[in-house]
Amino acid sequence: MCAKWYLGTGAQNDVVINTSIHLARNIRSFPFPGRLSLPDKLKVNGVIKNATDFIDGYNFNYFEMKTLSQSEVVSLAERHLVSPEFASSRDGRALLLTEDEAVSIMLNEEDHIRLQVMYAGFALDDAYRTASQIERELSGKLDFAFDDKLGYLTQDPTALGTGMKASVVLHLPGLVSTSQIAKLITTVSKLGLSLRGSYGEGAAAKGDMFRLSNTITLGISEKAAIENLKSIALQIAAQERAAREELFKAPVTEDRIYRAYGVLKYARLIDTNEFMELISLVRLGAVKGVINMDCAQIEALMIHMQPATISLSVDRPLDRIERDKLRAAMVRKALS
Amino acid sequence: MICQNCNKNEANMHMKRIINGRAAEVHLCSDCARSLGYGEAFSGFGLGLGELFGELLGKSDDVVSGAYCPACGKYFDEIVSDGKMGCAECYGVFYDKLLPSLRRIHGKATYMGTKPSSQGGASLEDRVEDLKNRLSDAIAEQNFELAAQLRDEIIAITATGGED
Repeated sequence: MCAKWYLGTGAQNDVVINTSIHLARNIRSFPFPGRLSLPDKLKVNGVIKNATDFIDGYNFNYFEMKTLSQSEVVSLAERHLVSPEFASSRDGRALLLTEDEAVSIMLNEEDHIRLQVMYAGFALDDAYRTASQIERELSGKLDFAFDDKLGYLTQDPTALGTGMKASVVLHLPGLVSTSQIAKLITTVSKLGLSLRGSYGEGAAAKGDMFRLSNTITLGISEKAAIENLKSIALQIAAQERAAREELFKAPVTEDRIYRAYGVLKYARLIDTNEFMELISLVRLGAVKGVINMDCAQIEALMIHMQPATISLSVDRPLDRIERDKLRAAMVRKALS
Repeated sequence: MICQNCNKNEANMHMKRIINGRAAEVHLCSDCARSLGYGEAFSGFGLGLGELFGELLGKSDDVVSGAYCPACGKYFDEIVSDGKMGCAECYGVFYDKLLPSLRRIHGKATYMGTKPSSQGGASLEDRVEDLKNRLSDAIAEQNFELAAQLRDEIIAITATGGED
């Protein structure tokens, strides 16, 4: 099996977990997915699949969503390769995915094409370069719905224009502990950006993981939107580092980190919420050098310990207790 | 100053919003301000944008019930209720009704991004930057005829970009 994108470590990875670029595109000659019949959706899937067949340097595997099991689909969502909405209704939908899972294309989600490029760490320019290269190839073969004044036309009028959503996932235990997160969420919304929990919503984000994205897609170029996001992300990262400095001044922080590590190392049953809370502390310790663990290993663990992904690893459905037992065993093994 | 929305009445509401670090100014008469939802000053911007969009569209006075897109058959009323367009043609058919809401959501309703490869590809910003570079080269070479031409081109592009 080929190495997945999240097994690498990227720039700024003490705070920035990963970077993604999403591009929404539609084929002019078909109505948007909401008004497509099932046979037409399958036709759209076929047309796009053919267009991706000869893109230099990228081999896509093609999956009809209907042919996948429930666990497989939910696991794709847990790995952020498809949206939860895409996983919830599978008829007429398909997925194109590269072996390293860095590039995924959802077909017939909100739009005919939702292209996603995801890299570890802080890599907005690289991710955008890849996304736009693939988009160029597709645009040479497909006639995209485009208007001179409005840009790329999307089913949801709030996404039209560049059709681009750029995001960085940030680990913000410092800002959460010092209660600065709620204010930050309000501040970034005034700057045309949004900050939300990456696992779970709002200030109750699991594992202190937050996704920072642009919300404005019209009246601003892709490059300018990315520059904005970059500068705000770096400011937040700097604030997070300052908050961590403060946290480590109190001896209780190091104590909490070691206790978290102890529980993860010896627990026999552990559910997702507790796991996310503790691994966040361990990650904080690992970055600081208190705990000897690799960040890439922690990120991979976070993805592998989500409920459906765990069930998938044993290839059969598990009840809650079985799952929590298996999770604890896998975590113990990873930490030993 | 005349209202930007109706282009008739005197604008008496002046607002400045910072979007992505750029100041966007809005000048409206009180009637248009109310119909565009500015009355409840700046509320709602952080809401789910999809729902907000339907809500905003519903507020415009000129919704003619029964209007539909001939290409896909979607009624404007349906777009208002689910916040989703039916097809690319819907944008042309309902353009005037959508524009005020798009302006409110994005601050500006002028496309600045890249184009499909069949249409040149470069964004407005890149084209302006390219022209500016050529302009300074022309000045450096004392080719003032070309410089004047490039300057006019920049003014023309940014002017059309600045309106709609």
